[in-house]
Amino acid sequence: MAAVLEARGLSKSFGGLQAVVDIDFSVAQGEVLGIAGPNGSGKSTLFNILTKVPFAADRGAVLLDGRPIQRLRAHEIARLGVARTFQRESVFPSLSAVDNVLLAAEGARRGNFAANLAAAEQALDLAGFPATLHNMVAGQLPVFLRKLVMIASALALQPRVLLLDEPASSLTPQEIERIRDLIAKLVGEGMTILLIEHVLPLLTAVSDRLMVLDHGTLIASGLPADVIANPAVIEAYLGRER
Amino acid sequence: MDLQTLVSILESGAALGILYALMAFGLAIVWTTLGIFNFAHGAFIATGAYLAWQFGNAAGFGLGYWAGAILAVLAMFALGVVVQTLLVRPFERHRDIVLLTVITTLAGASIITNLLNVIWGPRMKQIEPALGGEVTVGLVHVRSQELVMVVVVAATLFAIGWFLLRTPLGRSMRAVAQNREAAQLMGLDVRLLYALTFGLAAAVAGLAGVFIGSIRFMSPTMGDDPLQKALVVVILGGVARFTSSIYAAFAVGIIEAFSTYFVGLYWTPAVLFGLMIAVLIIKPEGLFGRRQRSV
Ligand SMILES: Nc1ncnc2c1ncn2[C@@H]1O[C@H](COP(=O)(O)OP(=O)(O)O)[C@@H](O)[C@H]1O
Ligand SMILES: [Mg+2]
Repeated sequence: MAAVLEARGLSKSFGGLQAVVDIDFSVAQGEVLGIAGPNGSGKSTLFNILTKVPFAADRGAVLLDGRPIQRLRAHEIARLGVARTFQRESVFPSLSAVDNVLLAAEGARRGNFAANLAAAEQALDLAGFPATLHNMVAGQLPVFLRKLVMIASALALQPRVLLLDEPASSLTPQEIERIRDLIAKLVGEGMTILLIEHVLPLLTAVSDRLMVLDHGTLIASGLPADVIANPAVIEAYLGRER
Repeated sequence: MDLQTLVSILESGAALGILYALMAFGLAIVWTTLGIFNFAHGAFIATGAYLAWQFGNAAGFGLGYWAGAILAVLAMFALGVVVQTLLVRPFERHRDIVLLTVITTLAGASIITNLLNVIWGPRMKQIEPALGGEVTVGLVHVRSQELVMVVVVAATLFAIGWFLLRTPLGRSMRAVAQNREAAQLMGLDVRLLYALTFGLAAAVAGLAGVFIGSIRFMSPTMGDDPLQKALVVVILGGVARFTSSIYAAFAVGIIEAFSTYFVGLYWTPAVLFGLMIAVLIIKPEGLFGRRQRSV
């Protein structure tokens, strides 16, 4: 199957620290590619250099539907359909929830106002955001709802591929359950997803394939069951962490 | 002090206040959006006045007051975009952007002021007001031009508020100010929005200049004092909301009017700066601080 998003030889260092080292991957239409690895292994940095927010890769190529995008500017990459959420919930705090999502709809399509508003409301519904809170100022929402606003904003871009960075972090078990259901629903609709998750059970439950980073390098990739049985992965997770 | 005096002090304070609100807006929106303090703001005010004089006055192109004002505001928008591109954008992602742009915008201010001197000369000029004469409002006589100013500035501030709150472009500008990175992910062109924001600030500064130039004599440094006042307003009011600097502007205008009456013109800046320092001591956590950065 043709790759929706493909990375070739992506690398990024900060001074002497090699945060991402020569990473290759590709994700096919409708596939969920899970990305695991201990804290500081370079997962978020990988998303940063894929989206160029806030910085680009030092080396390597990114292809969206076969077309190189690493030369484009960040907002152009977003408009072409690479949507992403941040690890920390990140919204426009003094804008209402629906205005947050409306911005994404406007940024992506330049349709008329009514169409954009409808798209924004639809994205909020899809994310499971309560309809009664659409006009609440985003900065005053609880963490979970801010995460939903962030996911809805990404969905309102009508992305080709959705990059989720630890969507379950700092949530309660019930909320994590709802995030899992949401991801399952998106997968059911054929969304292509890159999912970073530190918590392995959630990751293995929804991913078609897994890749594991350690110190910025790819140490394992393949089917989830094989990857979590891989001694190098066990070592990376258990050996150093506790 | 009789009632007549009190009312006339309040009236001149309110007229100053609304002008300060206009000047502070540009500083505040540039600070909240680009995270820099634009020291060329005063030079923008002066340039707006000279351009309006050149376009509008009989001694210039003679297009009339309103055509001159509109053309000046449009030209100031373009100048703002140019200044942002040359003096601010190169340092955008730099760690020391605040300090670097203090220097570059000061340099810009000095260049612009010198150009005004070269082009229009140091001789005092004044823009012929849109309306001459005086009108009586309640207890006081005011210059018609001041009334025109109050009406136009109030309408402008309302229009800007409406633009920021209700239009997609205004929403995008607020979003970029609040969260640059999220804005990029939403497909917003941050570079373009920064330039537009700076252009808007310059255009509004230019409008302030048009009004100052039609109630006082113009000089290339005529923006220096307004820049100081706008700084006081922004620090007093904070930048948490569009409206907070408007309230602060009226407060500063009225304090200035009373202080001018009781303490005298020359001590009034000291009174205002003393007040500003007191506010900074009592609320140091950032009336100007990042935590309140939003529009
Ligand atoms: N902007 C940055 N400047 C310097 N170092 C960074 C920056 N971002 C990330 N790092 C470093 O890069 C490494 C990978 O970080 P990150 O990608 O956030 O890891 P993960 O998301 O897997 O926990 C870490 O050592 C981190 O400290
Ligand atoms: Mg991370």
